[in-house]
Amino acid sequence: MRKLVELLPLQVRILYRQFLLRVVDLEALSIQADIPRFLGQFASVLIFISLIGAAGLLAGETATATPEGYLSFVWRGEQALISGMMLVVGLVAVISWDSTFPDRRDVMVLSPLPVAAHTILLAKIAASSALLGLAVLTLNFATGLAWPLLIGSHHSSIWGFFQSFAAYWFTMIAASVFVYGSVLTVQGFTALLLPRRMFLRLSAILQILAFALVLGLYFLRPSITTPTGMAMPENQWALAWSPSFWFFGLFNQLNGSIPLEFGWLARRGWIALGIVVLGATASLLLCYLRTMKKTVEEPDLVPGARGWHWTPRFGSALQTAIVLFSLRSLTRSRQHRVIFAFYLAGVLGFALSCVRSALSTTAHRPLNADFLIATFMMMTLAVAGLRSVFSLPISLTANWIWRLTQLRPSEKYVAATRKSLLLLAVIPVWFISALLSLSFRPLHAIAAHLAVLAVVGWIFVELSLIGLYKVPFTCSYLPGKVHVQVMLWVFLFLLLILAMSTAEVELPSLNNPTRYICLMVVLGVGALGLFAFNRHRAQSAVLYFEELPPDVITTLGLVAVRPSMPTIENHIFRQ
Amino acid sequence: MLELRGVYKHFSGIPAVDDVSFSARAGEVTGYLGPNGSGKSTTMKMITGLIEMTAGHIFFQGKPIQDDLITYKRRMGYVPEEPYLYNHLSGAEYLMMVAQLRDLPEKQSSECIDGLLRLLSLYDDRHASISGYSKGMRQKVLIAAAIMHNPELVLLDEPFSGLDVGSALVLRSLIQELAARGKVVLFSSHELDTVERVCSRVVILHKGKIVADDSIERLRSLMELPTLEAIFSQLAVEQDTASMARQIADLIHA
Repeated sequence: MRKLVELLPLQVRILYRQFLLRVVDLEALSIQADIPRFLGQFASVLIFISLIGAAGLLAGETATATPEGYLSFVWRGEQALISGMMLVVGLVAVISWDSTFPDRRDVMVLSPLPVAAHTILLAKIAASSALLGLAVLTLNFATGLAWPLLIGSHHSSIWGFFQSFAAYWFTMIAASVFVYGSVLTVQGFTALLLPRRMFLRLSAILQILAFALVLGLYFLRPSITTPTGMAMPENQWALAWSPSFWFFGLFNQLNGSIPLEFGWLARRGWIALGIVVLGATASLLLCYLRTMKKTVEEPDLVPGARGWHWTPRFGSALQTAIVLFSLRSLTRSRQHRVIFAFYLAGVLGFALSCVRSALSTTAHRPLNADFLIATFMMMTLAVAGLRSVFSLPISLTANWIWRLTQLRPSEKYVAATRKSLLLLAVIPVWFISALLSLSFRPLHAIAAHLAVLAVVGWIFVELSLIGLYKVPFTCSYLPGKVHVQVMLWVFLFLLLILAMSTAEVELPSLNNPTRYICLMVVLGVGALGLFAFNRHRAQSAVLYFEELPPDVITTLGLVAVRPSMPTIENHIFRQ
Repeated sequence: MLELRGVYKHFSGIPAVDDVSFSARAGEVTGYLGPNGSGKSTTMKMITGLIEMTAGHIFFQGKPIQDDLITYKRRMGYVPEEPYLYNHLSGAEYLMMVAQLRDLPEKQSSECIDGLLRLLSLYDDRHASISGYSKGMRQKVLIAAAIMHNPELVLLDEPFSGLDVGSALVLRSLIQELAARGKVVLFSSHELDTVERVCSRVVILHKGKIVADDSIERLRSLMELPTLEAIFSQLAVEQDTASMARQIADLIHA
């Protein structure tokens, strides 16, 4: 990678490094703007996933006995690998939103310098490609070898492995280019067709829509793993409009394993790839030739929108100020949206899996443990995600206004933060859960579960508030505190175990009033206890706007303090 | 009256403000002058309570400000040196947030904000994001936020920064009007011409120490100099400005 970069002209190399730093906001991820460290962490997560995936595939292959079973296993594996790749690249595209296009800062800083537009374009493409290439390589680190080995051995030709290997990697790269290119095409043409001011507004909405689309396509994609299933009329719509099936067809075409009647899927893949490559190239070129000038000519100032501007009240003036400030920071700051999207991906994933299971049947089903676990996870992820973004300041230099207007005791600020967490995380998730629960019966069990979920949400809010004596989005944080990787594994393992245990306790109690009352009493006492604890601590707390490292005593380590060691003092006393 | 007595501020042992004592009276505009790095903004921040003093006392209406900082903050308005605002909010949203944080009655503050936005020519852009505001527009937002609660003490740190001629003239008159209505106005600026027109008294700071504290008239007669600029140059400007300009031009030609 480094050698490839060294081939680029000096200007491109300098800009490449700057742009790579901004492809994903490293400061937001708290990795101290250390590119190799961030890329290392990113790669290690994907390699780990790849290793688990490869182990799963190899174990699955040994369990297939019949030729039909083998074909079903192969198709399921291929579809999972391709859609997984598209999901990861889609999330990378959402996280690095706008980063390939010139923004106002680029234009204002670089335009007065003797740097050509194509140099900026090349550096941007190099930075985006570096991240994308890393994602493709590491996610297929183990599966990219294991899968060709596995299916190559069943090939009729002696070159089977090489053909499968080439088909596999070409398909993965093509699927990644398709997803990333689609995002670029949509963004590019939106920027070209709309006035810049409108584009800036629409861009944030497009980012959220793209995020939902990527997750929706992954979680709602049907698994069609038999030739019969492929030929069924009810599956034709999904096959025709789900891009992962096009690349599934493309892979099998390149691998020489596609039945003739499904050749149209591969053709769709080729056509889609061609359109996207052309579209992305055209939109990028046009943006760099036209939009850069437009960016300077059209200021970012959006004129005052006419009409109604409703400012809702959320309790006292302070609570209203903090809730609105939190809501506006969350929705308008790209950096915070991206970090929160990381958690929302989990929330949306669980919600979509519930939708998918609801769509699988028209009849009402009894409430099951899967649904309880899903709603529990949605609630915890939403609260934890919001608490996590609350810690990231939006503009440290503007914080003086909070200090200057700190006219109330700290407990009032903590209460306002509590309200923000409840309104922006707990209540929306609770309503989504209520909607998702409509496919279940009996109704009294649903009502009972929703009551449990509300108390669980409250408990998580109170847990989040322990030691949080700051206004959301205003306090500086110490580098390295928010470790995305650590959070990921904590949520995936510990919380999942906790959710499963809670569901195990809750499910039988939903039909047993005595057990249910006991459960609610325990949860309620826990929530009230935490509330009282936080309230008591907040009364004597001092609001802070800067996190300070804990006091440490640094020893030089010149003399080991062990009684048996001949220290200077011992030596003197012996004398 | 605002009074500073023996105020010190050290940053890592280096004195930024060194034994500063002066007072600013109600009904008059006190100019606070000094070259870059002389400690003006540091003093302003200590008066607002944003940073703590290393030593000394600050009194407002005869009471140490630290005794009841919350009551003091309610009575004080501040325009900082840099227009640091939350860029993701609109001008109207920012001002409404400040009003809520100051616990002002909703209806009254809403009317006041509307009026201020109209008078400061920000009304048409009130729902636009501050990120798109010019420096002058940001300055106007800061000025509106500083005075909307009718403070008794007005601290202005470079308030004319980025303002167009018309707005600057309005602000100049506003400062005088506020003083005429009995408010204590402490005004820091590099625009000596404006200071000379607006202020009745000036305090000149140099390397953290006060080098002059008197009325402009008295300073003129004492130092036998015609303008505030000449007084300031003699007291607080060490280098030969013409020679320095020549050196810079020589350097870039080399």
